[in-house]
Amino acid sequence: MLGYVLGRLLAAIPIFILVAIFIFSLVHLTPGDPAVLLAGDNANPQQVEKIRERLHLDEPLIVQFGIWAGNALQFDLGESIYSNKPVTQLIAQRIEPTFVLAAVTLFLTVAIAVPLGVIAAWRANGWIDRGIMAFAVLGFSVPVFVIAYLLVYFFAVSLRWFPVQGYKPLSNGLLTTLHSVTLPSIALALVFAALIARVTRAAMLEALSENFTRTARAKGLGTFRILVIHALKSAGIPVITVIGIGFATLVGGVVVTESVFNIPGIGRLTVDAITRRDYPVVQGVILFFSALLILINLLIDLSYALFDPRVKG
Amino acid sequence: MRRLKTIVLSAAIGAAMLAGTVSASAEEVLRLRLNGDINTLDPISTTNFTIRNAAYLMYDTLFALDSNYEVQPQMAEGYTLSDDGRVYTITLRDGLMFHDGSPVTGADVVASIQRWGKVDGLGKILFSKLQSIEAPDDKTVVLTMNEPWGQVIPALGKISSNVPVIMPASQAANDPSEAVANPIGSGPYKLLPDEWVPGSIAVFEKFGDYVPRDEPADMAAGGKVAHFDRVELVYIPDTATAIDALIAGEIDWIEEVPADMLAFFEGADSAKPIAARQSGNSMQLVVNHLNPPFDDPKIRHALQWAVEQKPFLQAAYGNATDRYLECAAVFFCDTPYATDANTERVLNRDVDKAKALLEEAGYDGTPVVLMHVTDIPAHDAYYSVLKPMLEEAGFVVDDQPSDWATVATRRASKEPVADGGWNLFFTGWGFVDQSNPMTNVYVAGDCDNGWFGWACSEELQELRKQFAEAEDPEVKKALAEKMQILTHDLVSYVPLGQSFPSQGIATNLEGFIESPVPFFWEVQRTQ
Repeated sequence: MLGYVLGRLLAAIPIFILVAIFIFSLVHLTPGDPAVLLAGDNANPQQVEKIRERLHLDEPLIVQFGIWAGNALQFDLGESIYSNKPVTQLIAQRIEPTFVLAAVTLFLTVAIAVPLGVIAAWRANGWIDRGIMAFAVLGFSVPVFVIAYLLVYFFAVSLRWFPVQGYKPLSNGLLTTLHSVTLPSIALALVFAALIARVTRAAMLEALSENFTRTARAKGLGTFRILVIHALKSAGIPVITVIGIGFATLVGGVVVTESVFNIPGIGRLTVDAITRRDYPVVQGVILFFSALLILINLLIDLSYALFDPRVKG
Repeated sequence: MRRLKTIVLSAAIGAAMLAGTVSASAEEVLRLRLNGDINTLDPISTTNFTIRNAAYLMYDTLFALDSNYEVQPQMAEGYTLSDDGRVYTITLRDGLMFHDGSPVTGADVVASIQRWGKVDGLGKILFSKLQSIEAPDDKTVVLTMNEPWGQVIPALGKISSNVPVIMPASQAANDPSEAVANPIGSGPYKLLPDEWVPGSIAVFEKFGDYVPRDEPADMAAGGKVAHFDRVELVYIPDTATAIDALIAGEIDWIEEVPADMLAFFEGADSAKPIAARQSGNSMQLVVNHLNPPFDDPKIRHALQWAVEQKPFLQAAYGNATDRYLECAAVFFCDTPYATDANTERVLNRDVDKAKALLEEAGYDGTPVVLMHVTDIPAHDAYYSVLKPMLEEAGFVVDDQPSDWATVATRRASKEPVADGGWNLFFTGWGFVDQSNPMTNVYVAGDCDNGWFGWACSEELQELRKQFAEAEDPEVKKALAEKMQILTHDLVSYVPLGQSFPSQGIATNLEGFIESPVPFFWEVQRTQ
């Protein structure tokens, strides 16, 4: 198993190199000059040129890549052009809100979606199944910002149960943090729950038609035991795969939710950096995402062993 | 036993976490949402207005503008001018202190003014006329000019970017293109660097050692009394969220509420929108004089006849007619230098005249490249109005959509259109910069050294020089009028009206100062 993990990690190195080259090229090919944005609207060309020189933006691209790649090898992702702060520090500042949001969302998603998917499969083609699947289609179809604004309107502006916006760090207390991420987590969870409920239902339907389920029924086991202990465990692999990918998507792709709820997470850091042509931050964040995706994929693969003993070999 | 330990430990951790939810103290906090994010607090390294506005919290200036647009001493106790009109001796007032506890000295002032003079337009002119600037002692600064120049004190009391703020000499030694990393000011609020997260929040606390002037606050001048323990500049990118947060009492003020979101405030008693009449903006269509077809003055005049202001203003402000004004005055309407001289082509649309001028000029159908900004809603709306207007008048239009970042870079290109150049783009300027002939970029006529568009007129350059040296208000007014006539003939730009943005404020706040730059001293909570 250890050899397998090491092999997977080594295989990630060429992926990293390719990602680095690709992202560096893409970011620098995008029109727009960070020095111009940094100097402000009223700046004269001399001011802009001075900033370009200071940031080495006047150097040939290959030299700029060399400087960046050399530093990245030493875990130095450079400094933000926009805020002059180290990229690693910016990522570190943004990790907590994003991870907390992703974790709470994932918890809510699993808590909602897996039981719904199991029940839908159990009552396949009945009205409960159709009701759950209608919810799934709705959750998947309504844009997340619409759900977000509706939640804000009812639960924050009208009822004042939750804050409209902002993130309270864990240092303020767990309950305060959870209170601040409740609405964004629900908004996101509704979308992901729809997806996972559908996948769970499909996988459960397959498991319920297998011989081992028939055997379990023949042995006289109760419905709960059949559904949860036998069928759900067998249906776990596709479900856990979707959950894992969902987590990676949540960490990197919750820009709209982070914007609507004003959560200073990594998604917003990325989009802000792109609009400001903050090259080191874009490059650094995408490298970070690549590492995270590789890690999550590895964890998903390793978790298969929990559900399917044949994978252990 | 082990299990019991775990339970006790978990309970202790939980209690510790929950304890953090209890507010540390009942501090008075003012939470503000400016239009942009705070990436730096060095208003010399950038001309960005958000940074300028935030910097006013923590920095102070030697002189400052009052509500009559007259310059008053601020950090200065006063000044004397020598009989020959060349030597300004400025005395600093008592009690000036930087946030690190060190006193503000003449040497700090000299270094700060020198740094500002390297980047600011007006500052550069001042330094081109300056023989020397020195601090003979800790309380005195002496500026000796080569010849009398009436703009020395107005330049030092400049209210908008770049504002000549005073910082410690050690920080003023920094290259002005490089933002000071840990900025130290001497203003009423002090930055808390540890709580500053770019892209999220910048936090300031009241500076206990700040000594306000005795006079009442009067725009940027007078006593700056801080009434809050903390000021938090919260970056909320989504405006709808910001308005909801204001109504829910999570923030206290929004710098700008778009016209189509004013309805959000209906029925809310905790917050309201107000028209910030002094913070007027104007929208302009900037014309590139270097590229065909607008290198021909007749075709530029055809452009003036081809457009009119109202449809643009309606596109941006809808039915909120109290939020805009049709205005073709180069120095803004309702200002000391406002005039309607030579505005006929600008205010009236006449497609036939535009077509006739195009024919006379032999317009060959060269496409007009619009650098269409799509990520700023007001700009996007303006381009949508402009294209059919130009086409109806006979122009061929090449509408090229992109984001603002791309346009902000591309507008600096003096190349032909085929090599990445351009013909037209929209931009906005604030009242305070445009109403002053010394800072209005469109009346400079500076050719290659000028602002984007590179309109060229030696006559305008000469008029500006005369304006800088004039003392008599009537003479200045006459010169400003001549500048407007020439500018509209030259077509440095086409003005597209004046607007008064709405601010959103919590109804339990009072003491807001009417000013083109938002200031937050004097603001206090009523309940």
